[in-house]
Amino acid sequence: MIFFQAYLSGVEAQSKALGVDLRVLDSRQDAALQADMVDQAIALGVQGIIIQHGLTESMKEAAQRAVDAGIKVVAFDVNVENPEIPQVEQSDRDLARLALEQAVKDNGESWKAGYVYVAGIAPLDRRNETWVDVKKKFAGINEVAMFGTLDNPIANSVANQARSVLSAHPDIKVMFAPYDEFAKGVKIAVDEAGLSKDIKIYSADISTSDIAAMREPDSAWAATAATNPAVVGQVSVRVLAQLLAGEDPGHNVIVPPTLITQKDLVDKDIKNMEDLSAKLPQFAHADVAMPAWMPNPNAK
Amino acid sequence: MTLRDHAIRYGFILLLFGLIAYFATAADGFVSPQSAVFIFQSVAITGVLALGVTATLVVGGFDLSIGSVATSAMMAAAYVMVVLEQNAVVAVIACLLIGAVVGLINGWLIVYMRVPDLLATLGMMFLLVGLQRIPTEGRSIATGMTMPDGSVANGKFSDAFLALGRHRFDFFIPNLIPVSVVVLLVLAALIWFFLEYTRFGRMMYAVGSNERAAELAGAPVKAYKIWAYIISGVFASIGGILLAARLGRGDIASGNNLLLDAVAAALIGYAVLGAAKPNAFGTAVGALFVGILLQGLTMMNAPYYTQDFVKGVVLVVALVFTFALSGRGRR
Amino acid sequence: MGNHAVFRVDGLRKSFGHIEVLGGVSLELHAGEVTVLMGANGAGKSTLVKIISGVYERGGGTMGLAGPDFAHKAFAPNTPAEAIRAGVVTVHQNINDGVVADLDVATNLTLDRLSGSSAPFLFNPGRVRREAKAVADRMGLVIDLRARISDLSLADRQMVAIARAMAHQPKVLILDEPTSSLSSTEADRLFALLDRLREQGVAILYISHRVSDIRRLADRIVSMRDGIISGVFDQKPLDYEGAVNAMLGRKIHLDRIVARNSAKAVLTADGLRIAEGARPFSLTLGDGEVVAVTGLVGVGKTALAEMLFGVRKPLAGTMTMNGRPYAPGSAGEAIAAGVFLVAKDRATSGIVGDFNIERNVSLPFLKRTSRLGVLRRRIERATARRQIQELGIVCRSEKDEMSALSGGNQQKVMVARWMSQAARLFILDEPFQGVDISARRDIAAKLRASASGRATLLFVTELDEALETADRILVMSEQTIVGEHRNADIDLERLLAEVAGRPLHSAA
Repeated sequence: MIFFQAYLSGVEAQSKALGVDLRVLDSRQDAALQADMVDQAIALGVQGIIIQHGLTESMKEAAQRAVDAGIKVVAFDVNVENPEIPQVEQSDRDLARLALEQAVKDNGESWKAGYVYVAGIAPLDRRNETWVDVKKKFAGINEVAMFGTLDNPIANSVANQARSVLSAHPDIKVMFAPYDEFAKGVKIAVDEAGLSKDIKIYSADISTSDIAAMREPDSAWAATAATNPAVVGQVSVRVLAQLLAGEDPGHNVIVPPTLITQKDLVDKDIKNMEDLSAKLPQFAHADVAMPAWMPNPNAK
Repeated sequence: MTLRDHAIRYGFILLLFGLIAYFATAADGFVSPQSAVFIFQSVAITGVLALGVTATLVVGGFDLSIGSVATSAMMAAAYVMVVLEQNAVVAVIACLLIGAVVGLINGWLIVYMRVPDLLATLGMMFLLVGLQRIPTEGRSIATGMTMPDGSVANGKFSDAFLALGRHRFDFFIPNLIPVSVVVLLVLAALIWFFLEYTRFGRMMYAVGSNERAAELAGAPVKAYKIWAYIISGVFASIGGILLAARLGRGDIASGNNLLLDAVAAALIGYAVLGAAKPNAFGTAVGALFVGILLQGLTMMNAPYYTQDFVKGVVLVVALVFTFALSGRGRR
Repeated sequence: MGNHAVFRVDGLRKSFGHIEVLGGVSLELHAGEVTVLMGANGAGKSTLVKIISGVYERGGGTMGLAGPDFAHKAFAPNTPAEAIRAGVVTVHQNINDGVVADLDVATNLTLDRLSGSSAPFLFNPGRVRREAKAVADRMGLVIDLRARISDLSLADRQMVAIARAMAHQPKVLILDEPTSSLSSTEADRLFALLDRLREQGVAILYISHRVSDIRRLADRIVSMRDGIISGVFDQKPLDYEGAVNAMLGRKIHLDRIVARNSAKAVLTADGLRIAEGARPFSLTLGDGEVVAVTGLVGVGKTALAEMLFGVRKPLAGTMTMNGRPYAPGSAGEAIAAGVFLVAKDRATSGIVGDFNIERNVSLPFLKRTSRLGVLRRRIERATARRQIQELGIVCRSEKDEMSALSGGNQQKVMVARWMSQAARLFILDEPFQGVDISARRDIAAKLRASASGRATLLFVTELDEALETADRILVMSEQTIVGEHRNADIDLERLLAEVAGRPLHSAA
């Protein structure tokens, strides 16, 4: 929900900068309706379509019909298995990599770690692959506890688990919680256990309330890596514009994530998502699909 | 008393001590004042909800809306402080009011509209899950959030309110006992005393056991039932206050997990001391039982799904204790 | 009259926990005979019946059922269904055990065949109705087969339950107090049916306390006391007095009631109408007198009781209590005014099953047993102990569960509840239902001994009960009071005529 709104704001901003006449069709997570809407767009006679999320099974054929109708198509976060259609992606592996690189930078190559993970959730599984690689690379990183739950409110349930883990392993130095709800829960537990000066939390994703939690004095939440959904929206529109202009944006267009550290937030006095975009330029804009003619919606 | 009677009466308590002994040897750091306090803290919120639902069980009813009442109260607290920029007292009063009003509506639906209790409170659950999203169009509430009209909410959780989740009282060891644990213990003692030692509590048990007999004994049965739902709603909203104070923001959540854990605690409570009926002491022990299990299992690195499984096993065993072994199953 | 022992039990034993309920019972039932089993509540009758019908497991002893060659085969049903298949059918005291309230009469009458393993998979409503009609005709049962059981009167439900049992064409039929909720005409229909079954050679075990039933039906009487058979009477003429004595273990002295008169009115009612179209009536209840209202089932006795107690509104009329207007809007208001009711059917409207004796006794008067809402348990316990003593309730202590008590003792607890505080008007609706003779006499004696200072009003279907207890007897018929008799040299013929709804008019 929140992601979609931010994504849409990026789409709108880039469209405005390009002078695009934009129609938004919201399928409300109904797979069949989403496929119908592609046909509806074809009937409307649009020049280009951006498909955001959805299932390969339901969208593959609809996307092909649009391509057959001579319409340019861009897909974000749904693999429509079509060489004609560029795939815009945010990289979960890069998210995890950025956060963990920072953890190594801050804490050295040898520490005891707690890890929050629930298997079977696609983005978390991709982030997990990186964690496995990093553990392999640095033999000194010792994962003493793995936990996690999606019982809602998630932060509350994870906090309870993290408290148990901390009583069993008070010597944990780093908590890797690659989802901000997890990180929030771990932070509550660390605060309650009075260990906020002894433990550092590294996570992924960002929100206004996450920023507040990271900015608290002595906050254990050291850094997070995030892709700005608005930037993803902008990139999606730019890739479509490139296609319409006859340029080749490449088949896989990856929007790089940004590392956000506690120090950044404090030093630059960043209090919410708007501040973050304004004061951390790499978060507000990605130099992806930016040929010289492309207007930058962030340029004021 | 026969061996069987002893087994029914003390079996569950014995099981609890056995569990503690097992974890004490199997998990390092399980036995310590901090660990004990933490177990209480981890069950404080579901425990408060469970005590509330116990009141409805006593009158022969049920309340499925407690989880969503708690999360709605959490959202209300966040909304009052962050968006309306009010203080902690206003936030607490708003939460309690929501709980009382929801309880009153539940009771009214069940008593006067004759909607079966499970259905009425199920409907209320759905209603609240939707309602809590309306003011912010589905956004979670935190300081600095952007409202639907584009403005930025600048209020923040007051320190006094956050202290409900974070302040600790000294108890032999400095900074030991969190406010939520004190709230749990006080409410448990209150509802226990109310149900066991006041004529109102006694009448509620009578209503639950034989409504017509209670009515013919002069009890205003309808009023008792409605009050039970109000108690349940208010307790759930207190749980929501503690939740908001712990999280420091308002999260959109159905609260279904809170509901399930609370109901499990109350039902496990039937088996404690062979009561075979809803009772506040049993509910508190039931909540602790679940807390100890989860603490121990998490310390031993058991994944979350095995914990759900174990919770289920405990509940089933407790129900067997209650219905098969004690008097209820006979005849 | 056959002399074959169709059914035999030998040395049957049963204990619940430490309490031995049956201590070696031996009994024979003969084809074409009605054997009446008498026993005070708690004697073990119900337990015996439940073992025979497969509800309880037996603790020891054997049972045998004769086959076509008259050789006995072991009979040991594990479930009620097994007992029924073997030809032993029981109609239990609790009517609702015998019928399914949400289904119609036809389905109920054929239910056992429908649920049997040989039943066809598809439900054929036409066939069900034909079979049901055959069953009903055999019984002489005149009833709408499509009516739902829950819409029937208690008496009709009972008839359906018995008819349903008959549908099995049993070899042995056991009836546990079948007439306790039937009117006399309905009871006559039942007796006629039992006569027919007797002629067909069915062995019948009939459990009852009613002397009138016993006189009408019994070929043999078996008395039971404290879990053993205390007497068998099969010499004609039957020695009823001996049977009662064997059951009670002591001689009953039928005290003659000395009817009292009352000078001071406690409650008066004027122009009271309890149903549309019913004739209004007036009523005066005096201080110190015991008044019994008698009449058939369904003539408005319970309605009148509920009106006096505030749970039902009269259609017309006014009442006064101690000279002041009295119009209670709820049971609570009635209780506050000193009007107490021991309601009919204690299991559904009196006993709180989760509570022990002490808590059942204190239930209506918790306000008086508490201070600032907090219960004073010492007073509660003392009251319960006093009441247990006063009414001679047989129990181990005031902490006993109600389910551990016999029916008679349960009823005594209900009476004890309402006698724990002083009443101005004490109403008892069918207080002797399912109560053995000795408990009934205890309760009646207690009511009379404590009668001064209040008015006492009983509603009883059994005329005997009224005659034994009351100073004055009122007769109800068709939702109004049709007769009044001082309980001294009563004109019984006239009274019975009033009960039957054809009063002997002396004038006009």
